[in-house]
Parts: sequence; C-alpha cells; structure tokens
Amino acid sequence: MKEITQKMRDTARELLSSGQVALVLGWEKGYPWYKSAPTFIDKVEDVERLVFDEFCHNNLSKYLLDLAAVDGKVALFVKGCDSRGVNRLIQDNQVKREQLYIIGIPCPGLKDPDDAAGKNWGDEINGAVKCQDCRFPNPVVYDLLLGEKVPAVERGRETRELIERLEKMKPDERYEFWAGQFNRCIRCYACRNICPACNCRECVFDRAVPEWLGKANNLVENQFMQLTRAIHVAGRCIECGECERACPVNIPLMALNRKIINDIEELFGEEPAGLDPEKKTPLGRFELDDPEKFM
Amino acid sequence: MLAIEKKRLNELLRRMNRDFQVYVPYLENGTGKFAPYQEERELYLEMNTLLPPKDIFFPQTEKMYKFRAAGNELEIEEIAEQKEKQVVFGIRSCDAFSIDCLDKVFLSRGYEDAFYKNKRENTLLVGLACTAVGDTCFCQSMGLNPQEAVGVDLQVLDLGAEWGFKARTAAGQELLAKYGDVLHETGASPLPAEEFKLKVEVEGVPEKLSRMFDHPVWEEVSRKCLGCALCTYLCPTCHCFDVSGKVKGEEGYRFRCWDSCMFSEYTRMAGGHNPRPTKKERVRNRFMHKLSYFVERYGQLLCTGCGRCLAKCPVNMDITAVIRKIKEAEVE
Repeated sequence: MKEITQKMRDTARELLSSGQVALVLGWEKGYPWYKSAPTFIDKVEDVERLVFDEFCHNNLSKYLLDLAAVDGKVALFVKGCDSRGVNRLIQDNQVKREQLYIIGIPCPGLKDPDDAAGKNWGDEINGAVKCQDCRFPNPVVYDLLLGEKVPAVERGRETRELIERLEKMKPDERYEFWAGQFNRCIRCYACRNICPACNCRECVFDRAVPEWLGKANNLVENQFMQLTRAIHVAGRCIECGECERACPVNIPLMALNRKIINDIEELFGEEPAGLDPEKKTPLGRFELDDPEKFM
Repeated sequence: MLAIEKKRLNELLRRMNRDFQVYVPYLENGTGKFAPYQEERELYLEMNTLLPPKDIFFPQTEKMYKFRAAGNELEIEEIAEQKEKQVVFGIRSCDAFSIDCLDKVFLSRGYEDAFYKNKRENTLLVGLACTAVGDTCFCQSMGLNPQEAVGVDLQVLDLGAEWGFKARTAAGQELLAKYGDVLHETGASPLPAEEFKLKVEVEGVPEKLSRMFDHPVWEEVSRKCLGCALCTYLCPTCHCFDVSGKVKGEEGYRFRCWDSCMFSEYTRMAGGHNPRPTKKERVRNRFMHKLSYFVERYGQLLCTGCGRCLAKCPVNMDITAVIRKIKEAEVE
C-alpha cells in the first residue's frame, strides 16, 4: 500500500502542476490511526498528505455533488465500489465524465475501524463487513489505474447469511426483526448523507410543507424513513456499504439493500448498478416483456 | 471508604431499583446506552456508552401537551410530569459535566424548562471513575478529571476487586446510609486512569474565535462534512430541539424533538430564506457554539471531551484538529 500511496502522490503532483486538474479528491491519515479521511488537494505542496491504506472507506464520489462550481477538472481516487458511484452520478447527470480525471485503485479489501478501536498498529483486525461480498474490487471506470488488478474474493458471509435467515422467516417474524432494528434508529441521516445514490436536490425527508415525514423519533416514522430510502435507492445502490458503516447504532442496512439488489437481478437479469453509465437503471426504464411477478 | 465486591454489585442495584427507577449502562447490538435496570442483564462498565445519558432528562421525542378543539371550545391538558425518583448509575465525568451544561441551558438565566427540571430534580447521579481511557477520549484537555465527576451525588471508584463509593452531596450520603448493609469498609485505594492518548490545548480558543467569524478556516474545516446530524445526536451537550404537533380530527398533541444545526432546514425561515445556506455556515455554528458562544454566555465550554463525535463521524471530523487549526490560524 505504501507503493500505491507513492503513486497517488506522484500522480496528483503531476496533474496539479501541469494544470490538468484544479482539484484532487483523495484520502489522508486521520485520527485515531485506524481512520483515514477524505481530503481536498488543490496545491502541489499538499500532495504529501495523500494516503491509501485499509481504512480508506469513504466513497469520494459523493463529494462530486458539491463541486459544480470548481473551475477546471477534478481528479478523484476510486476503489471498485467508488467507481460505480461515479458512473451512477454521471448517469444521473450530476457530473459530466469530461470534468473528471478518475484514478482507479484495485482494492484489496478494507479493515473494520470499530474492531481496531483500542488496538495498536500491527494487531490483527477484522475485515470490514462492507467488503465481505465485494463483486467488483477493481474500478470499472478510470483514466489511470494504479497497481495490479485483484481477483474478487469472498471474505465472509455475514450479510448473505442474514438475508438467507430473513428469507426463511414468516412475514411477522421478519417484521419483528426490522422493527427491532429501526426502533434503534436515531434519525441522524448519516446513512442518507453518505450515500452517492442520495443526490436529490431536496430530500423528501427535509420537506417541511407538506411534511411527508414527521420529526418525532418513533418506530412508525423511522420505518417510513428507512423503507422509503431503501426503495428509493433500489436499482441505483452501488453496494459501497457506506450507509451501514456510517450508522452509529449498527443497523444492518446492507441486508435490506442487498436483498433488493438480489431481487432486481433475479427479475430483470444480472445488471448491478453503476457498471455502464449509458444504460438506464432497471427501475428507471420500461420494457414490454418486463416480468410482473410482484403483481 | 465504603465499598462492595464487584461481583456483588447487582445486589446493590437490585435493592436500589426497589426504591428508584435505576438507569445503568448496557450494551445493545454493539451500542452502549443507558437503560432501565434489569436484574438478569449484564452491565457494561468497561468503557463509556456510545449514546449519552442526555435522553433521560431530555428525550429525543417528548410530548408536551394535548389539546381538543371543537368549534369555539378549546381544552388543553398538560401531559403528566414524571415524578418518580430515579438514579443514573455509572455516569462518566464527561457526561456528568454535560448535565451541568444542560442545567445551565434549561434551568438558569431566568427561564426554567419544566419538563427538564422535573426529571432533573428527581434524579440522583452516581458517577463512575474511568481507569481505561478510550482512543478518542480527551476530557482532561477540557479541564475535567476522569475520576472525579462534577455534580454527582456519589462517585464510584475502581478499587480492583471492589467498587468504592465516595459521597459528594448530602443526597449521596443518604444513599450510602440507606444501603449501608450491603457495603463494607475498605482500605483499598483507587486504580488510576490510564494516560490520555489524545490531548489538545484549548486555552485562548474561545476569545480567538470571537474574532474568526469570517475566517477562511471554516471553508477548509467544513469541506468534508456531510451535513448529517450524527455528531450532534451523539453529543452529550447538544440540546437543540424543534416543536411540532400531530392533529387528528378535533384532537392533537404538541411534542418537541431533537433537532440539529447541521440540517439544512434548521434555520430555514418561512419564505425560504436561510441565514446558514451551506455547510460552511452550519459547521462554523456548531464549533462556535461549543467553543465560543456558550463560553460567552455561561462561562464554560460546551464540549466535555467525550470523543463520541470523533469516534463515529463517518468522515472523521475531529474537534481536536479543529481546535488546533484555530490555534494556528492567523487573525488580523
């Protein structure tokens, strides 16, 4: 990873000093040692801040929504999942491909910062749950690729096992399970705000008139919020798992997102979101031979 | 000092729970929080809770009054105040000081918030000294002692095999007398707290901030912020709320619920104007409130160094790094 870090800095230096890009989006070391944070580099002398390590969780594509006013091209580093986020935002006309310089990093799978808390550098740390079932560790779009491509490896089954368990439940049991999860939701909206699929100019949940979602924290409102969100990102979720990582009360949001992805793939054919920016999303298009199993 | 063997702590809590509603820290789905005592459950006393105890006094959603309006008739019914005596057991120094901050907000300067006051006055606080110090803890830098909580009635100290009790108020003294039969006298001395890994120098920051409203540092600091409310909802001192209501036919009720200065609609006015239009203004407000405005109004910081925001922020917004940046910033 030190090699990748060095290549990141060299690339950023070249892009900025030649004037090819005005801004580089990357990661820098945060605090504690098991956190790496998004960083914005617009001066050559700051490129030394850039790092790539097993805690570079943030999907930087989200920040493209803030950068409409940047005068010039923006370079950003992407892992496999993040690159699908970039494609999705291009698909939604949130950013133009020609405004971007995409630097891909084949991802070896990241570590779980919560498991690292209290430990020291060099200690054994569990892999991040969000990387367990990663199907696309290699970026699917890039202008430059740093490092060798890596094979997709199954690292665990936590989310898949939960989905299998949920699928076997009776509807009432399943309801109880999710009610228990959503009861804990503190409605901080970290899941929404970190998600690149959440790019509406005004979110329905922030709407005061009419007030679609009440501000009271209770099961009914929490469920309405979480299920609306899951259905809203259906067909557009790029499986970066950032919602679940950001959730402070450990709601297994990816089990919900992943179940919907499985269903969409089963109903409409294998087409994970964000692979092809030209193709319309499965729920964003209509075909006469669409299956109607749910009718 | 009076003490109880650690393995017998449940006996004390069980007894206490007969006389009071006792809140203790538990681990639920990996999340530490204060919840009503249940005999069969295992306590979580290793580290601080992720969710602060502020909702015991200031619930996330709290009904205020009910009403019925038919024609020209209006009936208003206050929602019954909670009168039950309660004990919060195991509160850390950072969180105890946060309650002192909330007391200043809800009980001082000429207005007393009846909802808060009722719960606060009926609550005894039992502090728990920290021996382990988390990676993101920095209460010491904010002037607190991790082993001596401000404003608690009793302080619990870790004596190794026993929990020791020191009364801090008359009410704490009474508690010890009441449960004296399950306690014994001990000569053991308290284990010290570990060295803090995270330190920050805050001296001069509040005064300097009052001259930094238009400083470019806010642009830089706010850039990575996502504008979610995670930091404010996990913060033991954040106390903003919104008042809304529910109406069904002729009846309805008003309630208040936590709000956050990080939300875009927080300062949005009727007509759509928003004096804090971007996250730059919102982030500035959050840090200004914690480190400057509150100090101006109440003479103390609104950050207790609990480190929850730093531990959980999905983009690693770090208040100690912000403080360092403010220290380094050049001001005209």
